[in-house]
Amino acid sequence: MYKYILEGVGNINWMAISALITFVTIFLVGAVMAFRSTPLFLNKMSNLPLEDSILKTSETAISHEEK
Amino acid sequence: MAQVETFYYDNAIVRKFAYATMLWSVVAMLVGLIAAFQLIMPELNFGIPYTTFGRIRPLHTNAAIFAFVGNGIYMGVYYSLQRLLKTRMFSNALSNIHFWGWQAIIVMAAVTLPLGITSAKEYAELEWPIDIAIAFVWVVFGINMFGTIIKRRENHLYVAIWFYIATWITITVLHICNNIEIPVSATKSYNIFAGVQDALVQWWYGHNAVAFFLTTPYLGLMYYFLPKAANRPVYSYRLSIIHFWALIFIYIWAGPHHLLYTSLPDWAQSLGTVFSIMLIAPSWGGMLNGLLTLRGAWDRVRQDPVLKFMVVAITAYGMATFEGPMLSIKSVNAISHFTDWTIGHVHIGTLGWNGFLTFGILYWLIPRLFDTKLYSLKLANAHFWIGTLGIAFYAIPLYWAGWVQSLMWKEFTPDGFLKYGNFLETVTQILPMYYIRALGGTLYFAGTLVMIYNLIATIRQGSFIGDEAAEAPARLATDGVHKGEHWHRWIERRPIQLLIASAIAILIGGILEIFPMVMIESNVPKIASVKPYTPLELHGRDLYIREGCMGCHSQMVRPFRSETERYGEYSKSGEYIYDRPFLWGSKRTGPDLHREGGKYPDSWHYNHMVDPQSMSPGSIMPPYPWMLRDEMNLSTLPRKIEVLRMLGTPYPKGFEDEAVADLKKQAAGVAERLRKDGVEDDKLEKREIVALIAYLQRLGTDIKPKPQMN
Repeated sequence: MYKYILEGVGNINWMAISALITFVTIFLVGAVMAFRSTPLFLNKMSNLPLEDSILKTSETAISHEEK
Repeated sequence: MAQVETFYYDNAIVRKFAYATMLWSVVAMLVGLIAAFQLIMPELNFGIPYTTFGRIRPLHTNAAIFAFVGNGIYMGVYYSLQRLLKTRMFSNALSNIHFWGWQAIIVMAAVTLPLGITSAKEYAELEWPIDIAIAFVWVVFGINMFGTIIKRRENHLYVAIWFYIATWITITVLHICNNIEIPVSATKSYNIFAGVQDALVQWWYGHNAVAFFLTTPYLGLMYYFLPKAANRPVYSYRLSIIHFWALIFIYIWAGPHHLLYTSLPDWAQSLGTVFSIMLIAPSWGGMLNGLLTLRGAWDRVRQDPVLKFMVVAITAYGMATFEGPMLSIKSVNAISHFTDWTIGHVHIGTLGWNGFLTFGILYWLIPRLFDTKLYSLKLANAHFWIGTLGIAFYAIPLYWAGWVQSLMWKEFTPDGFLKYGNFLETVTQILPMYYIRALGGTLYFAGTLVMIYNLIATIRQGSFIGDEAAEAPARLATDGVHKGEHWHRWIERRPIQLLIASAIAILIGGILEIFPMVMIESNVPKIASVKPYTPLELHGRDLYIREGCMGCHSQMVRPFRSETERYGEYSKSGEYIYDRPFLWGSKRTGPDLHREGGKYPDSWHYNHMVDPQSMSPGSIMPPYPWMLRDEMNLSTLPRKIEVLRMLGTPYPKGFEDEAVADLKKQAAGVAERLRKDGVEDDKLEKREIVALIAYLQRLGTDIKPKPQMN
């Protein structure tokens, strides 16, 4: 059987196969990253845009921190 | 517990980019509107070079992408980056160099494109000195962004910042690869790639300009501004992680779907199709993540124009990213390609996704920057409905026009002849759709003017907060703090690792597609009869590029019977090996020209350029009277020959010294034939039109016998 596989190897589109394999790998890495994260961490991250630390009382221009 | 520090967000740079976004939105749309009206009223080309469609079209696309959307990106990034990282921008000076540098580039584009200074590559038309300026300003932006990330007070990088980082690295790679060119003069260069290879690199760039300039940064903005506007966190942070990695990896492969059924090798076309279809998964994951963020808040969408704009923007993103994969299926693409369907598709993206998200952000941001309320909610709602109607009136007629025209191109009589053998019949049939499209564009533009008025009134009633005070704990040293944590946290906390991982993800696709195409010679079989252009033809080709003829005429006969019957033998990759740049085009407002050589006598072309309607009644092509008036400028011709030989065109050594004489000899022959046909002009052999005719008569003749004319 291996003989037939090796004989037909030239007809395999290695470009497409390698593309598929790399995509599946990257997708799995992304999925693992997403699903191994703890709910606490995910909650903290998803709330980041809502916590911009602005001091509501200081609306006047003060000197830059770089100055 | 770290000490709490007080610092100030820089709103001045955000305001600058917001003003630029507003200004350039008007300019980009106005130029687009002029171009739309030119297609139904050719007299609006005004018979002068600088306002003719071929030069106006790239001005519109560049203004929309890089001026309007570009400034919109920077506005949103400079606002959100500071707040997500709880720090001020790294450097005020770099922020200002970035702002003024980018505006200078836009102004240079606005001057050079109407002058006909173009490299002919869609969305990368600007010539090499401006390319270098873009690279410089982009690097300044990168230093400022990474500097800000490094001095942050927040340990982890929110997903929006991932999108900004991926945008930066990918645009850097794309811009460099697609603009490797050898200068001929300050306003002219030749690309190192030719023909099919140039086409692949260009559309790898072109598609990813859409992906990484019009999409990924805007997804970052969506992940920041939508939660802000809705006042609730993103629906699923998990989904956003998968969305990010899958999207940036897949997007980079999809470029060849712009070249289906062309001379590009089949393996590259197949890769483009497969990855384009796969793109629907991450794209819709992102869209659903956006829409589901509004769960439980849909009642607010009814009242809040900001959310209305954002909902339509995200829906348009979903529509465009469904349509894109569908258009990449070869059998669908066989119908859609070269038609107005593509124009409708991109405008769903630009008007709907980019435009409406930008408007939503502006309506949200300006009142906050000026510590006031929006001047008029009613006007904002009116803008929303006018704009939405504008998108519908713009896109739907073009979908219709695309289908109708393509089916007319392909229709045969029972006897086996083309039913609409005259291309012009298929143009006049869809003109009513062009009228409706112009109406749609006018509505959208009118809505934008309403927004500008509303925002200016808001600005005038408010008081600007230039430095916005904020407080956050200093960032603790993280070495060892996260021992035992999962490895991906390590990436998320470190911008450089994230940059490298993003670069690897996008480079895999680029390398696997482009390297074999460039390195393996068998991908472009040589044809012995294909010879380099003569100096006169070369000069004519550069005039063709200057006038933007490739904006309306393709040079790619696809292997369909309907095309070989209409145009002639289908195009072979070996025919383009001396084409720098390739000129396949992406739209047929006029017929394909790849087999134009020898179809008509020289005098037909001459008279056609004087007044296209006289030769083709009902034509919407503008006249080019200046080409009959202006003399050829041959000062750079020897250098052009030198550069092309350096790049591999087999001109004999020393030919640059004979090029002008060779050109004059061939021009005299063309002039003599024109005079025989009654053209009267003492300086005919010096006119630009002679070079253009020589080029048109050469097109596609390498693999067919030369016609015996006159």
